[in-house]
Amino acid sequence: MPGKLIIPAATRRRILKTGTALGGLALAPLGFVRGAWAEEGPLGTFPVKGDTVKFGFCVPQTGAYADEGADELRAYQLAVKHLNEGGGVLETLKPSKLTGQGVLGKKVDYVTGDTQTNPDAARTAAQRMIERDGVIMFSGGSSSAVAIAQQYLAQEKSVVFMCALTHSNDTTGKDRRRYGFRHFFNAYMSGVALGPILAEDYGKDRRAYHLTADYTWGHTQYDSMKQATEKQGWTTVNNIMTPLGSTDYSQFLTAVLNSDADVLVLNHYGKDMVNSLTQASQFGMRDIDKNGKKMQIVVPLYSELMAKGAGDNIEGVLGTANFNEKLDDAGSQAFIKTFTDEYGFPPSQAAHTAYVQTLLYANACETAGTFYPPEVIKALEGFECEGIGPGKALYRAEDHQNFHDILVVKGKAPSERKDQYDLLEIVKHVPRAEIEYPADTFPGELGPYKPA
Amino acid sequence: MGRSPFAADLIAVGLFAAVVLTMPVWIVWIGGYEALATKIVIWAVFALGFDILLGFTGYLSFGHAAFFGTAAYTTGLCLKHLSADILPAFFITGGVSLVVAFVIGLLTLRRSGIYFSILTLAFAEMLHAAALSILQAYTGGDNGLTMHTKPELLGIRMEGLNVFYLAAIVAILGFFAARQIKRSPFGLMLRAIKENAMRLEYTGVNVWAYKMAAYMISAMYASLAGFLMVVLEPYVATKFLHWSTSGEVVIMSVIGGVNTLIGPMIGAAFMLYFENVIQAFIGEQWRLVLGLVFVLIVIFLPGGFVDGFNRIRRAVGLGGRERHHNVPDAPAPVRENRGDRAARQPGE
Amino acid sequence: MSGSLVNALTLQVITGLQLGAIYALIALGLTLIFGTLGVVNFAHGALYILASYAAVLVAGHTNFVLAVVLVPVFLFLVGIVMERGLIRFFYDRPHTDQILVTFGLAIVIQEALKWAFGANNIPFPLPPWGNGVVFLHEYLPFLEGFVVFPKWRLILVGVSLLVVVGLFLLLQFTTFGLTVRAGMREPDMMRFLGVDVTKRFAVVFGLGALIAGVAGVFGGPITQVSPEVGMAILVPSFLVVVIGGMGSLPGALVAALILGLALSFSAEYAAVQQIVVYLIAVVVLLVRPRGLMGKKGVFE
Repeated sequence: MPGKLIIPAATRRRILKTGTALGGLALAPLGFVRGAWAEEGPLGTFPVKGDTVKFGFCVPQTGAYADEGADELRAYQLAVKHLNEGGGVLETLKPSKLTGQGVLGKKVDYVTGDTQTNPDAARTAAQRMIERDGVIMFSGGSSSAVAIAQQYLAQEKSVVFMCALTHSNDTTGKDRRRYGFRHFFNAYMSGVALGPILAEDYGKDRRAYHLTADYTWGHTQYDSMKQATEKQGWTTVNNIMTPLGSTDYSQFLTAVLNSDADVLVLNHYGKDMVNSLTQASQFGMRDIDKNGKKMQIVVPLYSELMAKGAGDNIEGVLGTANFNEKLDDAGSQAFIKTFTDEYGFPPSQAAHTAYVQTLLYANACETAGTFYPPEVIKALEGFECEGIGPGKALYRAEDHQNFHDILVVKGKAPSERKDQYDLLEIVKHVPRAEIEYPADTFPGELGPYKPA
Repeated sequence: MGRSPFAADLIAVGLFAAVVLTMPVWIVWIGGYEALATKIVIWAVFALGFDILLGFTGYLSFGHAAFFGTAAYTTGLCLKHLSADILPAFFITGGVSLVVAFVIGLLTLRRSGIYFSILTLAFAEMLHAAALSILQAYTGGDNGLTMHTKPELLGIRMEGLNVFYLAAIVAILGFFAARQIKRSPFGLMLRAIKENAMRLEYTGVNVWAYKMAAYMISAMYASLAGFLMVVLEPYVATKFLHWSTSGEVVIMSVIGGVNTLIGPMIGAAFMLYFENVIQAFIGEQWRLVLGLVFVLIVIFLPGGFVDGFNRIRRAVGLGGRERHHNVPDAPAPVRENRGDRAARQPGE
Repeated sequence: MSGSLVNALTLQVITGLQLGAIYALIALGLTLIFGTLGVVNFAHGALYILASYAAVLVAGHTNFVLAVVLVPVFLFLVGIVMERGLIRFFYDRPHTDQILVTFGLAIVIQEALKWAFGANNIPFPLPPWGNGVVFLHEYLPFLEGFVVFPKWRLILVGVSLLVVVGLFLLLQFTTFGLTVRAGMREPDMMRFLGVDVTKRFAVVFGLGALIAGVAGVFGGPITQVSPEVGMAILVPSFLVVVIGGMGSLPGALVAALILGLALSFSAEYAAVQQIVVYLIAVVVLLVRPRGLMGKKGVFE
């Protein structure tokens, strides 16, 4: 009778959930084992049993951002290697309790998953890592939608999520979560960093036309760019919200060309940005004069892969970045050198943030002396360190946003490039103090350390 | 056959229930996990409902995401703004889905064949575009609809196994209902419509009303699945309205075996299992492998997995039907599905 | 917005034309294959992007003109191989089976391209002779002041026109064209008359692929060269075919033009742009059951 089978199964699994009995757990075939004796009590995937601890790396392996995902995965693997064997940024990170012999005496292991750049698929993959593989922390992603979806899951499951690529203000604003942490910078900082440089390079009397990807990242990017440029005396002529994932922008570019604007701001990311920048350049926008000035294009957020995809069209185009492989501080150098030695080419900013996030989490575990998530979270909140990039980096307790120096970069002309990876030059280090903002600028609730 | 059809139904549904209800146990043995089991059951409900339209009437909808997604958003908005209890959300979602299904059905069922497919696609894509652009203040746009709500049913937290059993009960009842529909005079009429709608029209049958009823029933299954999805995870992705979601349910139905009821559900299980478990073994190129598997099934196994089982049965001399194409828009052989065969699941 | 109304209108019409041009090229091949062979080829977008990859490789290593010659020929061969190796086994199976198998093939091609070249796009620079802008006000006297348009987009419109005229001449004035047209109208009758329709039509499949090849070479620098472009361009192109009426060449052209103009004129209200496109499809199909110029009984 099928009915007979069900009840014991249901009860057994429910016991697993609450973790009050351990008798049958040895039978559970694939991980997912908790211990009731730890002083903090079981929570999420805590406690970690055995002599290894598992991290979950959830990156896009299919879809438009698969190459970024591949670079993130390389960085994660390098981070695991350094945690287990020492080396890399472990030697520059201060203060650090990392030993180079695993974390809290356990060897670090990892599992991977595919986000497909699809929030729903990303959550399913993350659930596999949490339920089946029992990861104590998961990390990854290359879009804000995925990062936000993962953060909410992290909170529900009480498993810490270390965001990788996500630039929307919402991630640590409206949608901030207690179990989510972001090292990457955001749209607001891009605007603040870029404003003064734009006025310096292109003058204070400019008329800007914005094309903006129609979703929250685009909106926040547009708002901050508008605010930052108008503060410098610029006029905003118009803004068009373009559908996400358009392949052809000519209908919008025609409108730009037909207006009296002399600067085009492309609040686009990824394929959208490559498309719109390439097509704007085909529309002659980099060669014509408007209002007696040379027309300019601005791309608030740059990535190495986008620069590569846009080819020669990036020449002279200004934007911001979180990291660049030409940074010369000790922390960046330690990372760049070990990464290049391992893989034969320099890391992208996606790789950098993925690597740093893994180390910061591991260090927080060592600092807390436990994997118990609330303690680890407390160790990360307000943690300030140096040696992971230029200057000092602070994880703000109120919104889990990391603050550090960011960069204004400019696309290089083909003739100035040393090799195929040499695409962007650093125009300015923007110190952390200039891009800091009050934590309640974008109101949100972190939520509790422990589920009620 | 020795058994009465109703007894055969009971046996089939009983076996199905046994397989489904024990899934959280056996799925772990084959590398799965609890949340995957729940998602499989939810998608199975979606695919089952899809078969009621495609299998029974031959109408291929490319826009079933419209119902899945609309239900998900309605449920999400109710849970977020109204009450964490899923009952009000259930009734409101049911009402909204009925209206949406009626309106879209009213307009799309005036056409058939590819023109019907494209019309359904167009409506779903309009909703998707609206959710991404003009409605994003309510839907959250590309970030999806996020909330802090923890869904509950009459005070019981709906999470983990609770959601699984809710979904499993829906799937079992849905399967039972679908078998009843298939065997009922209504089901026979649908089959007759598929074979020759014109002739029935001449005999005074209101063909349109029958098609509409099948369409609405199918849409309600999709809506139930969308509702359960948000109960499982209080989050709505815009992907739920995208054409790839519609495409996915088509693929599930085809690789499982259209017009078999059980086939599309097996297809759903296979797809999700492949995407989440086998994927990890293949690595980055898993989608290439999945594409190849799909092409091979369409070429060599026109009746999907169910056809595969039947071929094996024939090979060992147990009889079974032969299929020549994936989607029977030609007259299908009229023969009752044997219950014991219907309840087979991969990995059983 | 500055400039006169005439300027704006002219620009929007030209923009609409060139937006429609690329859809028209892809839709022509799709509807040609459907009209003659009765096969719905969902892998047509994949053929387009395959051509773009081939073009960027050839143009990168040699020059663009060579790509213009070689790539369509290559795609013609790919089309023949596809027809002989896979499609011909599906002539007797339902349309849905054809859609599914070609859709599966599209996924395989897309993922294989991703495997070989990565998911990121490959820059496809314009040839020097196609770069830059055209000063429209120098040619069109009714325009005021300063009106420019990218040269490449105008070339694309020209290429589309050439393909349309070429296809028209081929179908109208050659024996091959006569057979094809007869086959489009009365495939069964042709078979009774002893004309080996299917074999002759293998060439038609190649021809459809060839047109996708032309589209891939000239469209690649605009739509970009990355694996997912094929799928992204398939949906609107297929919409064009259906709005025009399955299997109707003039229908596809008119529908492409309508969609292009709709996109262009709704640019300022981009939030509703996608909705407008699908709304047009819905309205056309509800008013005209078989699309603008579709034949009765086909694919219903």
